[in-house]
Amino acid sequence: MKYGFYPGCSYKSEAGYKESVEAVCRAIGVELRELPDWNCCGATSMISMDAENAHLLTARIFALASKYGFDAVVTTCNACYTALRKTRKILKADAGLLAVINHQLVAEGLGITLLPKVRHLLEVFYQDIDAAAWTGKSPAGIGDIAVAAYYGCQLTRPWGDVDHPERPQMLDEFIKRLGYTVVDHSARTLCCGASHFFPYQDQCRPLVDKIIAEVRRKGAQVVTTLCPLCQLNLDAGQETRKGPPMPVPYFTQLAGLALGLSPVALGLDKLLNPIDTLLRKIR
Amino acid sequence: MLNNNIEKPSAGSPQRELQWQQRLYETPGGREILGCIQCGTCSASCPLTDQMDHAPRELFALVRDGAMEEVLRSNTPWFCVSCYQCMVRCPREIPVTDIMYALKRMAAEAGIFPKGHKMPGLYKIFNQDVARYGKITGSILMGRYGLRHPVDMASKMGTGLGLLKTRRFDFTPQKMVDPRKIAALLKRKRTHIK
Repeated sequence: MKYGFYPGCSYKSEAGYKESVEAVCRAIGVELRELPDWNCCGATSMISMDAENAHLLTARIFALASKYGFDAVVTTCNACYTALRKTRKILKADAGLLAVINHQLVAEGLGITLLPKVRHLLEVFYQDIDAAAWTGKSPAGIGDIAVAAYYGCQLTRPWGDVDHPERPQMLDEFIKRLGYTVVDHSARTLCCGASHFFPYQDQCRPLVDKIIAEVRRKGAQVVTTLCPLCQLNLDAGQETRKGPPMPVPYFTQLAGLALGLSPVALGLDKLLNPIDTLLRKIR
Repeated sequence: MLNNNIEKPSAGSPQRELQWQQRLYETPGGREILGCIQCGTCSASCPLTDQMDHAPRELFALVRDGAMEEVLRSNTPWFCVSCYQCMVRCPREIPVTDIMYALKRMAAEAGIFPKGHKMPGLYKIFNQDVARYGKITGSILMGRYGLRHPVDMASKMGTGLGLLKTRRFDFTPQKMVDPRKIAALLKRKRTHIK
C-alpha cells in the first residue's frame, strides 16, 4: 500500500521515530512516499500569531498532495495532524478562501485540486493493515512487557471522530494486537505540556509527573507515544523524578520489536531513559 | 504584521475596547461566547489554569463586559497549550481553544503582551525560522530561545547532553530545497488576502 507521507520537522532527529517507522513499514509492506520539498505545518505557533500564514503553510502541503496525486496524507505527529485537519476543515467550508489560497500558490505552480484526507500512521497500521500481519510473529517474552498507551491531546481532540476524545482505545488495541500486555489507566489524553514545556519547565513538570505516576501505579513498565513532542516531554521530563525512570518508546518501536526487528534498527538506543532491561525479557 | 488598513484600537478607550470586542465576536466561533453559561468546565479542564491570571471562564466574562484591555493583557491565552480539553467538554460548544488563538493574534496585532511572558518570543523565533528555512529544527530553536533566556538554558543542560549523546542534536538547520518559496508565499499573502 502506498501513502503520501508528511513527516514534519521533528521526525528526523527524534528518538528513533524515523528508524522505526521505516523499518516497520518495510517489514509489513507499507510504502510511505514523502511529499517532495514539504514545509513546516506551523504547529501551534504560526496560528497563534498569524492565521492567514498558518493556512498558507498547511495549504501548500495539501497542494503538494494534489500535485503528486495523493488523496490522503499520513503524519506521525499529533501537532502536524491537527494543524492540517484544522485548515482542511476551514478550506472545506470556505470555497472563497480556498480560491484565494490557490491564487497564492499558483506562483509556485501549485494548487489544491482535492483536499486530501489527513491520517495518523497509527490509523494506517490499525485500520488498513490486516491484523494477521502483526500477530503470530512476536518473539517469546513480548507478552511479559506491560505497556501503557499514551495518546496525548491532538490526535483525538478536538476531532473525536478517530477515537474517543478522552478515553481512546485504538493504540491500546494495536499494542494488544502486537502481543504486549496492555494496562488500563487514566492518563491516556492528559496534556504533556507540549511546546510550553521548554520555556515553562517547572510549571509543566507536574503534568509529566502525573502521567508517569499514574501509569506506574497501574503496573506499566513502558509508556508508548505517537507524537514526537509527547515523547520528548515524557522522556526528558523525568529527569528530576525520584525512582527508576520509565522508558518512552514510540508505538512503531514496539511494533518493530513484536515483528522481531533488532532494537538498534528501531533506534531504541536513542531513548533518553534506556529500555535495555526490558529488552532482556524478549527472547 | 497583519493588514494595515484595520484600525488598531489602543488600550484604554471604552469605544476602542468595544471595537476589539466586536472584532472577537466576528472571528469564527467568537460570537458563541455570548452563550457561555459560566459553568467553569473550561477552567476545571485546563492543565495550566493555575498559571493564568484569569481562568478561561473569567476571561469570557471579561470579554462580555467589554473589558478588552484586561483581556488582551491577560496571560491566559498565552498559557493555552492547545490541548482542546475545554473545547470538547464545553456544554455550549464554544470553540475555546480557537478563541484563545484569536485573542493571541489580536494582542499581537495591538502589540500588547503580558509582561515577561515567554511564549510570544518563542512563537516569534519559531515563525521566523519557518519563514527563513521552510522548516524548523528543534535544537536550533532551543538554542536561539536559550540565548534570550540563559537561566532556562542552564536548566536544560541535562536534556541537551542527552540529545547530544543519543545523536539527536542538530547543529545545522534543516531546510527546504528552496526555502525562498516559503518566504515568497508568506510575504505575497500580505498584499492579497484582506
